[in-house]
Amino acid sequence: MKRNLQAIAVLLLFGVVKLPLEERVTLHSRQQKMLQEPLRLGVGEDLGQAGLAASLGGLRGLAACMFQLRAHVEFTNVNWAKVDSLYKLVTRLQPRNFRYWEEASWHMAYNAASYYLYNQELKPALRGQLYHDHVMRGVAILEEGLKFLPDNPRLWQKLGETHWHRTKDFKKAGDAYWNAFQHGGLGFTERFAGYAWAQSNDPESWKKGYALLKRLYDKSGSTPGLVEYLKLLEQNLKLPAAQRIPDIVPQRKGPDPQAGPVR
Amino acid sequence: MSEPTTSSAANGAAKVRFSPRRVWTLALATMTQLIRMKILAFLVVFCLLAAGAGFAFSVINPEQQLNLLKSVTLGALQIFSIVIGVVSTALLLPKDMEDRTLYTILSKPVPRFDYLLGKLLGVLMLIGGGLIVMDAVLSLILWMRQSMLFEDAVAHMRLEKMDSPEAVAQVREIVARQGLTWNLHWAVWAIFLKATVVTTVALLLSSIASSTLFTIVITFCVTIIGHGESLIREFFFQPYLSSTMGRAASFILAAIVPDLAQFDIVDSVVSGEIVPWGVVYDMTGIAALYVTVYLFVTHLLFVEKEL
Repeated sequence: MKRNLQAIAVLLLFGVVKLPLEERVTLHSRQQKMLQEPLRLGVGEDLGQAGLAASLGGLRGLAACMFQLRAHVEFTNVNWAKVDSLYKLVTRLQPRNFRYWEEASWHMAYNAASYYLYNQELKPALRGQLYHDHVMRGVAILEEGLKFLPDNPRLWQKLGETHWHRTKDFKKAGDAYWNAFQHGGLGFTERFAGYAWAQSNDPESWKKGYALLKRLYDKSGSTPGLVEYLKLLEQNLKLPAAQRIPDIVPQRKGPDPQAGPVR
Repeated sequence: MSEPTTSSAANGAAKVRFSPRRVWTLALATMTQLIRMKILAFLVVFCLLAAGAGFAFSVINPEQQLNLLKSVTLGALQIFSIVIGVVSTALLLPKDMEDRTLYTILSKPVPRFDYLLGKLLGVLMLIGGGLIVMDAVLSLILWMRQSMLFEDAVAHMRLEKMDSPEAVAQVREIVARQGLTWNLHWAVWAIFLKATVVTTVALLLSSIASSTLFTIVITFCVTIIGHGESLIREFFFQPYLSSTMGRAASFILAAIVPDLAQFDIVDSVVSGEIVPWGVVYDMTGIAALYVTVYLFVTHLLFVEKEL
């Protein structure tokens, strides 16, 4: 009996010592991005996360993979509502994995939206509405993902692409590409920010775009895209002729693609 | 006449000290006993699962395929290590008592602590050996898939005339990050540490349990609560959230249950994060602390147990 009491005392004493130690280790691992931060999404969501964390333990990644495969099956069955709900579950399970946000958004903004746009069985007005709704759902998914991963360049890049190709909101596309570049994105995202701003309807964005593209032009010389969008910006901003870049067609390094096969 | 005999027995008992060789012998015997129980058949299932996850879903993109392969196989490793740890530890003591092996061992000058440590070490060696084999299989399949997927992706980009150096570099970086790296082995190490802690808890419960089923059920409950221990701890450290009774209950629960979520670096490794040395030290240190204390408590309980 004496030993049993000693055992209980040791366990409780160890508990007192271990709690602050566990707190410190958990905090350190979270700072190193090894453990997930507790999610703050409101009371209902918090409860859901707590339940998931406790019940699935270290197998959340595995569960997310299984739901992703189920979503893929529903994608092949063209069941977009089910794809969306399954990806919602996947992103809840693995909110720090940007690929799931990217895929969920791609399914909605590209696959589902295009499916409805080209569906001849639907009335034209409904097709347009469904296309718009699914594109906006794709954008919303990316924006939600960016709440969890605000410094992920790939998510910003995908948001830029979605705005460029689907919503045609070039101001937002430029801002997203610029954020991608600011967070370590590939070099082209910087150029694309300028190109997108050049096509927007916002004079402030034109100024930002012109400053960016002119800097790139002065630094690395002319490329067809750069010259084209700089010319567009010069027109939009009504720059005096003296400030404009020379009106020359840049020389291509390779053969002209329009010239046909090399003989 | 009887006095000198008692005194000599007491001296003899006092001379029996902790012996690493004895522990090693017990550990090897335990491992052999478990292998004879065909526990390692799981390895074959794992290899089939890894091959399936690696090659079955070629319709999804390279990054997703590598992600899926790692998630499925590391998840299987976690299940394997915890299930084997809990079930084999829960079976060992009752089986030794049923076979009378326990009485044969303890009638010899073997301290109960040596017996416990030998049993624990035997189970951990089995889990560790299994994890090494499965890690090797996973690494091989991942390396093969990584090379194949990179070549396929570049060939596809070339076909679509999108093989700019920047784009190829991006694919290479993605595949390399998702492919075989040292981080994968650190994830397996974290799985081993978690299994070690759970196995020690199972041994502790086994020393007070009246049945195998009790040990298995309660250890799995502790494992589930252990994954949410950080939430209980948070509840305890925020007094405005709870009553005194609530705080007392949360303290007792948090104090006796290990925080198993500290070892959950698998998701970050699957996402391609790099594991810093500091995190490895922290995990290893805290696991060693849990094992030492839980083993000591097990000894306190087992030493008084009437067999």
